[in-house]
Amino acid sequence: MAMSTPSWLYYLFGVLMLAVAAYCLTLLVLSVATKRPAGRDVEISHLFMGVAMAGMFVGQWAFGRGAVWEIIFGILLIWFLVESIQSVRQYGLHLPHALIHAVMNFAMLLMYWFPIGSSTGAMSMSASSAGPKLDPGVAFVAAFVLFASAIFTLASPNKGASHFGSHAPAYAIVGAVGSESRERQREATVPPAAAIEGAIATPWLVDLSHVVMCVSMGFMLLLMT
Amino acid sequence: MVDLKEHEAPASDAGEAARAGDRPPGDLQRTFRLVLATVWLLDAALQLQPFMFTRGSRGFSGMLNGFAAGNPSWFHRVVTWNVSIVDHHPILTDAIYAGIQFVIAIGIVYKRTCKPALALSIAWALGVWWFGESAGEVFRGGATPFGGGPGGVLFYAVLAVLLWPSEGSDKPFVAARTVGVTAAKAIWAVVWGLLAVLSLVGSGRSPRALRDLVAGVNVGQPGWLAHIDRSSESLFLHHGTTMAIVLAVVCVIVAAGVFAPPQVAQVTVVLAIVVFALIWVAVENVGGILAGGATDPNSGLLVILLALIYWPLTDARAVSRDAGSVLVAEEA
Repeated sequence: MAMSTPSWLYYLFGVLMLAVAAYCLTLLVLSVATKRPAGRDVEISHLFMGVAMAGMFVGQWAFGRGAVWEIIFGILLIWFLVESIQSVRQYGLHLPHALIHAVMNFAMLLMYWFPIGSSTGAMSMSASSAGPKLDPGVAFVAAFVLFASAIFTLASPNKGASHFGSHAPAYAIVGAVGSESRERQREATVPPAAAIEGAIATPWLVDLSHVVMCVSMGFMLLLMT
Repeated sequence: MVDLKEHEAPASDAGEAARAGDRPPGDLQRTFRLVLATVWLLDAALQLQPFMFTRGSRGFSGMLNGFAAGNPSWFHRVVTWNVSIVDHHPILTDAIYAGIQFVIAIGIVYKRTCKPALALSIAWALGVWWFGESAGEVFRGGATPFGGGPGGVLFYAVLAVLLWPSEGSDKPFVAARTVGVTAAKAIWAVVWGLLAVLSLVGSGRSPRALRDLVAGVNVGQPGWLAHIDRSSESLFLHHGTTMAIVLAVVCVIVAAGVFAPPQVAQVTVVLAIVVFALIWVAVENVGGILAGGATDPNSGLLVILLALIYWPLTDARAVSRDAGSVLVAEEA
């Protein structure tokens, strides 16, 4: 009996991934315009993840060689691992912000190393069902970690930390140009790029992009089990 | 315009130092609620697996129908009524089921929606237990804790009650914060007493039935888990009754442990966690998730979470939390 694959579901996730990628591309461009270095690595990472995963959910949207994507996510994985190690060395034993981004890039590598079989429907990787299969235990653990990251990000009082790490408090001041008196004082001096960034780079929105990415990646990993 | 560069170094120092442990300890009850929300999110994602949208014996309705088999006719009719709805509208019903679980998961996160979400989770868990899990096979005498009896989903409801938001101390354990020490101890004793009884009644002590329990879930499992399954099957086939009695004794010891001094209680909580971690992996096969045909992680993970909220807290932990609360209140 054939599976009634819900293709609309994959399109939904694909659109969400492209939306996250577009959002992070906008943040990246604005960060260059405003000379804001904080969070650029996460924006680059989410940009690549969004585009790559959109192609995984919807086959027609996939492009580029798998090896190229593997190199990209491999470099990003090393980058975030180094950041995590530096953070631990500098501030002692703790859970560094960069570690979850390392896990996300590792998950992306898993998706390229162990493409999903055809049983999951019309996805771009469906042709590789005969290839090596990821140990479902690894996929499950990674998915659970990503779901936990999504929930704890939503619950965190430190809004924006999923994107900007410990720089979030400073960034939140820009994102929440809410105080009327402050706004009046700044109206005359705020450059257009910074004003746009202040409007769209709100802490809750950058957190939401992280949550959407985590849930989508976790779902993809569950499909790999 | 605030120059971000100005804030970079001090913000980094402050933020990382806070992560390193200078901040007061967090709200343990909320942390456990967020772990529960994570499990609900996992369930919601599992509900979106392709086969869930499929009708017939290989779909979600087929899975529900399998649970219904062997139950008394009156109950079988009730369950098959739900099965027929799912079978006729697989996409609509599954999308609704997944949506409800997403709502519960996200709702638990926020203070304003936490209580409604927990209330919904209790109602949903009871509904799923009755219509989805066929009352945990209680009516057909197969509700052994080895297989998730009396129904993994019931533990979501128990956890929702025990983790209902409330102010107060986490002493002597987190589960007592909302319902009080006496009620929390009573709930613990009832849960573990029930598990002890279910270990011994019906097919719970039958070597063949226990062996079949593992054999029924080992299809499609990864190699390492299939290897463990073969050992479990052999163990149950040759010592099934003994294993059931041992589990019942363990459950009784754990039930009594909550009334013991903290040091003894800690040992019994560890015992509960170790035993149900073994059951979760070696018998329940992580709820069948690794074989790609599960709607939830079964009871093992939730029993471990339940045990953790009964972990006796030391005076130092309780005092530091109280101090933390005062600090936060003063800052506010």
